[in-house]
This record gives sequence, C-alpha cells and structure tokens, in this order.
Amino acid sequence: MKILVADDSRVMRQIVIRTLRQAGFSGHDIVEAEDGADGFDKVQTEKPDLVLSDWNMPNKTGIDFLRDLRGSGNQTPFGFVTSEGSEEMRTLASDAGALFLIAKPFTAEVFEEALTPVLG
Amino acid sequence: MTTGTAPDPALVNAAFEQVWGSMLFTAFEPWPADTVANLGSGVQAQIELRGDWNGRIVLTCDSEVATQIAGAMLGAPAEEVLPDDDVHDAVGEVLNVVGGSVKGALGGVMSLGLPGVSETTNPPSAEDCLIISWHGAPVFVEVVPDAA
Repeated sequence: MKILVADDSRVMRQIVIRTLRQAGFSGHDIVEAEDGADGFDKVQTEKPDLVLSDWNMPNKTGIDFLRDLRGSGNQTPFGFVTSEGSEEMRTLASDAGALFLIAKPFTAEVFEEALTPVLG
Repeated sequence: MTTGTAPDPALVNAAFEQVWGSMLFTAFEPWPADTVANLGSGVQAQIELRGDWNGRIVLTCDSEVATQIAGAMLGAPAEEVLPDDDVHDAVGEVLNVVGGSVKGALGGVMSLGLPGVSETTNPPSAEDCLIISWHGAPVFVEVVPDAA
C-alpha cells in the first residue's frame, strides 16, 4: 500500500514515518508532501491508499486539503496527525470525512489502533 | 484586543512536560531556583495564539541545546550533524505541539499560528520565564500577551 504523509515540518514527517514502522506498518510505500496544496496534487499523481495529514499548514490547511479532495469526488481514506486534538476539531475532521484524528504528541500504540482498520 | 485569560503557567508547564516525555524521551525537570540561567548564542521559536486571548508562546535556548532537542526528536545518533533547517524545524515543532495543547485547554474560539524560528543572542528576563532544564542547560519559556 502507499501512504502519503503531509506536514510542513520535515522533521515531523520523519517522525510520522518512524512511528509507522514502530507501529508495525513497515514495507508500505511512503510519499511526502510539504503542505495541503502539495498533498492535493500528489493524491492525483501518486494515488495513495491512505493520507496522513497535519492540520495547520501554509498554502492549504489539512482540513481544506480534505474538503477539496472530497469536493472533487476523491474518497482516499484520510486521517489527521495534528497538534490540536480538541473535540471541536475532531468534529470538524469527522464531518469533513476524516477517519481519525491523532493528536501530537503520539505513540506507536495510538498509530496502531487508528491505522489497523485501514492498513490491516 | 485580548479579552480572555492568559494561559496558566501550570498549563504551559504541563504541555512542555508532556512533550519532553513523549517526543524528546527526556525526563522533565524545572530549572533549579538557586542557579543562574545563562544563554550564549541561541535559538528562539515563537507561536501565536489568536482569539479570546491574543499573544504568543516564546521558547529560547542555546544553539547546542536546540541541536540536542532536534537529535532527540529524530532519534539521531549523537555524532550525527543535523542541518540548521532541521534544528529550527524541530524546535518549532516542539512549540507547535505545546501551542496545540494550550489552545485546546484554553477552549473558546482560538486559532494557532505557524511556528517561527530565528537566531538570537538576547536571553529573556529570567523573572518573566518558566525555565526548564535540558540536561543541565536552561530552556526559557515566556507567555507574552499582545501589547494593550
């Protein structure tokens, strides 16, 4: 499977990728995007099986990235990995079609629990 | 205009404690009150909160401390030389996660900015700071409301 990791922090993208490995999701192809606009473009060209996206990014936020995908008819499974985990943001994410919201700081166990239904 | 209450220092402290443990895998220790905290050539990161309360959280630490924080976050070997971009990125991300926690705890209508990081040689006034110990070196944290 192919996973797209969108975050404007290169360091955080590396940590998300490391945590995927620690959670037992090794062997998947990883594609990186540096903001929501880059992520939207790469969903079209790379056709990932799952998107893991930050929320607060320049150019296009994560929630706008998700809304634009769904607005264009793209139903790629989508989850947030973000520093903001309030109930309000979880509701916004869910209403826009996100499968889950993982709040930073996170653990491999949280990744395993959220991603197993998608990645098996 | 700031109308809400500034983040409680205990709340900011708790957010850093969580980041120290979960992201940096380091025991959180406050700076000992009887020790002078000095700063050489440093790195300063800040993130803005906008809404019911307006202001920013500012983190200042020595460049070497910033490099060690980045290394801890990335799980990099001690001898690995990290580029400045990654060091700034990592310190900004610490503040991003702290800012997210503080924003969530404050409630109300708030928005979180993007972290900004720059070099500095001016240590903040210790009296206005929460100071955290990073392996015996000080990390200064200020909560700065917008000027009235």
